[in-house]
Order: sequence, then C-alpha cells, then structure tokens
Amino acid sequence: MISIPRKGTPEYDRLVKEHKACIDSMKGVAGCSILRCATPGDTTEISGGIHEDFLLNRVLLRMRALPAKGKLVVICTKVEKEWRIGRLSGIRGVPPVFVDDRTFSDEQEVQHEIFLMRLEEMAESDGMPEHFHEGWKRRADNWTAT
Amino acid sequence: MMRLTGYADKFGVHPGETIKFYVNCDGPKKYKAEIVKMINGDTNPRGPGFIEKPVSVSVNGEYPGKKQVIQSGSYGFVTDNPNFRVESFTLQCWVWPTTPKTHPKYWKHGAQGLLSKWTPADGGYGLFINEDGCPELRINGERVTTGAPLRDHAWHFLAATFDAKTGEAVLYHEPQITYALDPEIPPAVRTVREKIRQSTAPFVIAGYTGAIDGGPLAASSLPKGMLISGHYNGKIDSPRVCNRALSRVEIETMKQGAQTGGDERRGSGPTPKLSECLVASWDFGAGIDTIYAHDKGPYLHHARIVNCPTRAMTGYNWDGHSFDWKHAKSEYGAIHFHDDDVDDARWDVDFAWDVPADLKSACYAAKLTTAEGDEDYIPFFVVPHVGKETAKIAVMIPTISYMAYANEHLANNAGGAELLVYRVPIMQHQNMFLSEHREYGGSIYDTHTDGSGLCLSTRLRPILSVRPKYDHFLMQAPWQYPADLHLIYWLEVNGYNYDVITDEDVNYDGLARLKGYNVVITGSHPEHNSGPQLDALHNYTQQGGRLMYMGADGWYWVHSFHPAYDHLGRGIITEMRRCESGIRTWRADPGEYYHQSTGELGGMWRYRGRYLHTVAGTGMSSEGFDISTWYSRTPESNDPRVAWAFEGIGYDEKLGNFGLVGGGAAGTELDIVDTMLGSPPHTLVVATSAGRHTEGYLLVMEDFGFNQQGLDGTQHPRIRSDIAYHETPNGGGCFAFSSIAFCGSLPWNNGDPAKNNISRLVKNVLDRFMKDGPLPPPPADAYKHRGRADYDPPGNKVSTARGV
Repeated sequence: MISIPRKGTPEYDRLVKEHKACIDSMKGVAGCSILRCATPGDTTEISGGIHEDFLLNRVLLRMRALPAKGKLVVICTKVEKEWRIGRLSGIRGVPPVFVDDRTFSDEQEVQHEIFLMRLEEMAESDGMPEHFHEGWKRRADNWTAT
Repeated sequence: MMRLTGYADKFGVHPGETIKFYVNCDGPKKYKAEIVKMINGDTNPRGPGFIEKPVSVSVNGEYPGKKQVIQSGSYGFVTDNPNFRVESFTLQCWVWPTTPKTHPKYWKHGAQGLLSKWTPADGGYGLFINEDGCPELRINGERVTTGAPLRDHAWHFLAATFDAKTGEAVLYHEPQITYALDPEIPPAVRTVREKIRQSTAPFVIAGYTGAIDGGPLAASSLPKGMLISGHYNGKIDSPRVCNRALSRVEIETMKQGAQTGGDERRGSGPTPKLSECLVASWDFGAGIDTIYAHDKGPYLHHARIVNCPTRAMTGYNWDGHSFDWKHAKSEYGAIHFHDDDVDDARWDVDFAWDVPADLKSACYAAKLTTAEGDEDYIPFFVVPHVGKETAKIAVMIPTISYMAYANEHLANNAGGAELLVYRVPIMQHQNMFLSEHREYGGSIYDTHTDGSGLCLSTRLRPILSVRPKYDHFLMQAPWQYPADLHLIYWLEVNGYNYDVITDEDVNYDGLARLKGYNVVITGSHPEHNSGPQLDALHNYTQQGGRLMYMGADGWYWVHSFHPAYDHLGRGIITEMRRCESGIRTWRADPGEYYHQSTGELGGMWRYRGRYLHTVAGTGMSSEGFDISTWYSRTPESNDPRVAWAFEGIGYDEKLGNFGLVGGGAAGTELDIVDTMLGSPPHTLVVATSAGRHTEGYLLVMEDFGFNQQGLDGTQHPRIRSDIAYHETPNGGGCFAFSSIAFCGSLPWNNGDPAKNNISRLVKNVLDRFMKDGPLPPPPADAYKHRGRADYDPPGNKVSTARGV
C-alpha cells in the first residue's frame, strides 16, 4: 500500500494544491471528479487530477475505501445553498452527526475540506500489518459493503 | 428533520377514479394539500429551475395534521385462542439468527422474540433471544437461559419445555455446526414456580407483543391496536408448539412435525401420542407465495405473516442439490424475518380525490406544506384508460425502478459507496431522515438492518427518494423520478401532447396498454422490469410500434409483483433477487435465487436468456458516477436509414457537452451495441462517447470472466455510450440514447432545439416516430443478410490490402 503523505512534505503540498485546483474547476458541475476542467464548470475537456497524479489517485482510493464507522460525509442543510460536514455512525438507525459548526456555500468546496481532514486523520501506514485487528477476519476491514 | 411525509394508494390513477392520500404530520396542527402538475423537479440554477403548475380542484385545502408511524418488522401471528392458553408446553424450532446481539445504540436493541405468547405487562410464555444473544425461555417474569450465546449466521436447534405440575423448565440449545473450540452447551434446567398468566395477546412468531393496547399509533399495526415488539432478525424453520413438556426423545420425534398424509392411524402425527398434544406445527415451505404460514397441525392455526419477510429461503436441511423451492419445498421451510421489513404503512386515509374524468394525463403530485415551513410531495400519475388514449406519445414512467430504489440508504450504509461514486457523497434531508427512521424500509439496493439482502419493496409507504428537489448521492444530481422530469419539462416546453403510463400498467394490461400509441418513450433508467412488461414492449415494437429508450441500464433485473397483495392494487410489492452476476450491491445466498412471489428464477434477464440489448438495441456495459461527457457522430449517422435524425446538426458538433447530470449527455450508466448480446444485426451506431470517460467508469462484471487491469473508462473500449437506431417489422423502430445522464441535457438552454443539439436530435426522432402509419421504408439496398459476428476487422484484411 502507498503511504499517506504527511503535512509539511512536498507530496502533501502537491496533492493539496492539485485537489484544490480540481475542485475549483468543478464548481457548477452537477457531479464532481478530482479532475481539472479546462473551462471551469464545463466537463468538455478534462485533465490532471486523478488521471495524471498517481499518488493523488491512490490516496483518494484509500480514503474512499475507509469503513463506514466514523467516515466523513457531506450533508446538504439547505437545498442548493448550504452544506456541512458530518460523520457516519456505522450503526443502522443512528444518523450521521455534524462534526462542527462550519457551513459551506458551495457543494464542491466541502470535498476539499474533507480531503484535508482525512489527510490529518489517516495514519501514514494505514492498512499495514501493524494495524491488524480481529475485524479483518470478520468483514470489518477497509471494505465498504452495503 | 422531516415532520411531513406521505404516500398515495396508487402510482397511476385513471381519470374518474379515486386516489387516497395518507399523511404523517408530526407536530404541526394542520397542513395544506394542493394538487400540482409536475414539470421540472430539478433546482439546479443552471437549468430552468423548479416548475410546478397549480391545479384548481376541490380537494385542495387545509387538513388536520396527525402523527402516523410505520410499524416495521416482520412476524407471524395467530390471534388468541384456547389452544394457545397452555399450562405446560414445549416450544421448538430451528433458528439462523443474523443479529443475536446488537449494539446498545442499534435502532431496535433488545431481546428478540422467536415463539411467544407473552407481553412485558401481562406475562405469558415464550422462547426468546435475550439482550446478551443467548436463547431464553420466559414464563411470566421468570427467565431461563443457557448463558451460551448463539453464533450468528449459523443454524441452531432450540427447544423449551415447561411442566406446570413439577415446575421444571428446560431449555435446549443444540448448534447444527460445532467447531473444535466450542464449549459444550448442556440443557439449562430450572424449577419455576409460576402459573402461566394468560392474556389476549396473540401467539407471535419472530417477535412478542409489546403492548395489548398500543394506543392510537398502534392503529397501523396488525393485529390492529396491538404493538408487536422484539422483532427477530434471522431465519426460523419448523416451529412447533405442544401443550405439555416433551422429553428430549419426543422433541426429536416432533422435529418431523405433523404428518397428516403419512398414516391415518397416527392422527396429526408424528406419532399418535404426540398428535394429542400438538397445538401447532408450521411448515413455512407451504404457501411460500402467500402471506400465511401454513399450520399442518390439527387446529389449522395458519399464521398471518405481516410485513412480508423473505421466503423461499433455504432451511436447516437444505442439501445443495435443489435450487428451486417449487421442487424441494421441504428444504425451503425457512422464513427470514427482518426488523425493518415493511409491506404496507397501513396509515389512516387523510384525504381522497376523485380525479375528474376529463383531467389530462400527466405527472402530478399532492404538494403538502405547513405554515411552519414543512414540505413534502406525493407524486402520482394520471393514466388514461386503455382505449381512451389522448395523445400519440406515451411516456412510460419506470415505477418498478422507482420501487427498486425506494428509500435507499447507500450513502449511509455503504460507507458512502465512495469507491463507486468517486467523491464524498452528499446526503439530503430525506437521507438524514431515513438514516434514523429505518421503519420506512430500504431499497432493493440496500441490505436490511441485519446486513442481509433486501429483495422486496412496497410502494405503500412514503418513498422519499421519489421526490422533486431531490439530488441523489450517486450523481449529486436528479436520479430517476426528478431526472425523468427533465424529459417531462422538455416535452412541455416543446409543445408535445403526451400521455403518461406506468410500468405496472404495462405489466397488467400488456400490449393493449401500448398499442394505442405511435411512440413510447422510456424514462432515464428503466432498469427493473417484469416479464409481462418486456413481452408487451417486444410485441409492440414487432408490430410497428416505436420505442425511444431515453436512458441506460434498462431491462436488467427480473422483477415480479407479489400476488398476495393484488387485492390492494396493482404492483404493491415488487421482488428482485441479486443472483449470480450483474452489478450487485448484495448477493443472494446459494439456493435463494427463485422468487417467493412467482417462483420464477430471479437475477439478470441476461441469465434468463433475455438479453438487455434485444429490447431497444443497446445494453449496459459500464457505469461511473463522477462526471459525464459528450458524443461524436459516427459515419453510420450519415446512412440514409437514419440521417434524418441529424438534420440541423453538424457532423463535427460536440453532442451534449452540457447537462444537468454530470455536466454531459453521456454519463452515469452507459449502454452499447453488441450484436452478440442481442442487438439486431442491422443496428446503426450513430454516435458514441468512446474514449472520453474517467477512471471512475468501470466495465460491468458480467462482461468479463476474471479480474484484470484495464477495465476503467480511460482504457477499456467497451466503456462508452452508443446512440443507436434500428428498424423493427411493420414500420416500427427503436432509438436508444444509451445514457442515464442523457435526459439531463434536454433542459439545457430551456430545451430549445436551436440552442441544444441533444434537444434537436430527440425532436427529430420524436417528430418522425410519432407520425401515424408505418415509418418510411429504408432504401432497398438496406435489405441484406447479416450475421451476428461476421464483421471483418481491418487487421484481417491483409490480403485485400495487398491487392491479392
């Protein structure tokens, strides 16, 4: 597995910059990918992001595969107007909770904020043998099933 | 949090008929109801915006609000009667529990009833799984347990006896499978000095009676007014009740249950002695397509099964040789109960509307609002009577697909399903409400709260995913109902006169439902279909009908409606099993592929020999949910057979590099032409999106035999959408637009064909398809012999290139 870059390293800075550029270019698209639109808000021509930065691609895949319990999620609090960050409970019937009071006025911006939070929260060697626990045997590994 | 939710008794209502509405208004004293015509449900500021039109009808007005709740969780019950008012007893059954022990915060944490005539307040008797996950015998307030937790997802035999004379209570727990380090589980034996207290509580299978008088909110329970609690998650097989304490040997014999057909001298069986004490012996393998559990004992205590648990499930004795329950019913004696099963919300009617006989067929909704700002919409469709069509165009609303996706929990359950959607999902207030209110039931994409696959979906409940102003987490954009309103908006703004019909109308009325139209237009994602519906579509196109397939991933899954609910209306509960292949959010267990409702083999139509591509010419090849892209025309678009579709569109134009679903016309789920999978050999591919999709798009698993690199949108040649056309006999034809995102491009620039080449293309096709009479015949040279795989790739033409 690849390592999760640490703050203060050139890899970290590169990933954050590229992710932000992609997200900014996706504003206005009814959907989102970590790719750069040649014309902001227009997916006619796309490049960069996960298609060209291998480390960014892999780090994002690792983040996406995190288990449901405690996973960060976007919650739309006012349709087309306001979004906040929540965390999944991982327990059926227990709804997500807001992680803080911040509100966002653009749905894509939250993606970047969650990317930054996950870089902080994930261990550098996340998923390596030293993290073994019994749940790996019982479907509680890093595989998000329905 | 949503305080206002509701549903109607019908998706499709005919003019002159009555439609009833059921509303939960939890808090506000009153709410306003208004009938509106739905035009556009998408709030995206880059589109035309949300559009509804008020309809002035007498039913509009204010109504008193009252709270109504869904009593979810499946169980069986027999109403109180003297046979169950036993002094001594034996209860026995096989169980395969899925959540014997739950997290303290789990939504229904607590003891689970298996076989009981017991209430917390009134006592009684019963066999339970306690909070610690151990089998437990209860007699009034007394409890006997082995202290050994049940292994989840494994069969166990349980039996509990009580002898009122001696007070001896025995609890047996005998796992079917044991492992090397499992401790022995000796029977628990205790003396219980109790006389069983009797009450009017029913005998309950897979739960217990929480309260005999459950108050007004229990009006939606069965038996009405009685609150059933302690819903069990898992399978139960071969439950028996006897009115005396049996010995262990007798219990073993009683496993056979009633044997009425075997020997007249034995009475009910299994032996003359045991037949005398037998109260009930249920065989869940009988009547699998009903909502009753068949009692083969002497009193015929057939149990009413509530909330439609999953049947046709393999039993403790399934041996892996028979896969069709119809031919091995004795091995399918298990019912899998779930605490979030729901078949009917059973709410009180709040208001009803007699739809005027002259009301135009269209998409409507009951708009519900309160002065405090609450809002909900209950969509429905006014469908003309067969033979009284009011247009040349029919829009076939994919209501089975709506039911399949009803109240899906993927954004929550599946850890955001982020590997699928390739970004962090966005949950709306509907998702937040459902994440807490599991009693509203899930979708066929979900797993139950116990983690098992969800294969039955009812429309008699609020379906919060079928709502305008709802963006689905999959695309961060409208999906299904609100996405289909993109098409409705386009038809309206371009002045077309159209009727709407629903999947269930086609299922129940067959070809008659379609025959009166020159063209049938599908929704954006008609993925889930019944056999009769596909038959009707096939007959229609073969007899000169024209089909415009406006989306992708259509005609994919086998569905059937449960016949036990037909008395409540058309298509109340739909069933679908995720079998051996296909895009599956869960996978059916071995031996559980056949539908309980009709006995037919479930899974993909492809594996029933009915290829997707045969219906409209294209079939699913890939999916991805990050962003969409656009199409280029192919040389085949210039073929005189189809060139008319491109009038006003330049050959080099970027087709659909705009849209309200992913930003382009080609996106989300994509279909291609494949003559080896049923596309007619004369199909023309007129445009394709090949080579433009992201890494988030992946080839469907039914198209490859083993995993290998190169399956994503940046690499694989089958990851594309093909817009395709083919003629059908008698002047019919099919146009397949082959992308779920496609309809999202229709409202762009207000759907103006002069400023939107997708609008122009669809208009050209619709204008030709809607005309009376057969389509103009293709040129004479179009008639020729064609194979399926007889294409000769340029690489094979070496000899030709050399001029040999």
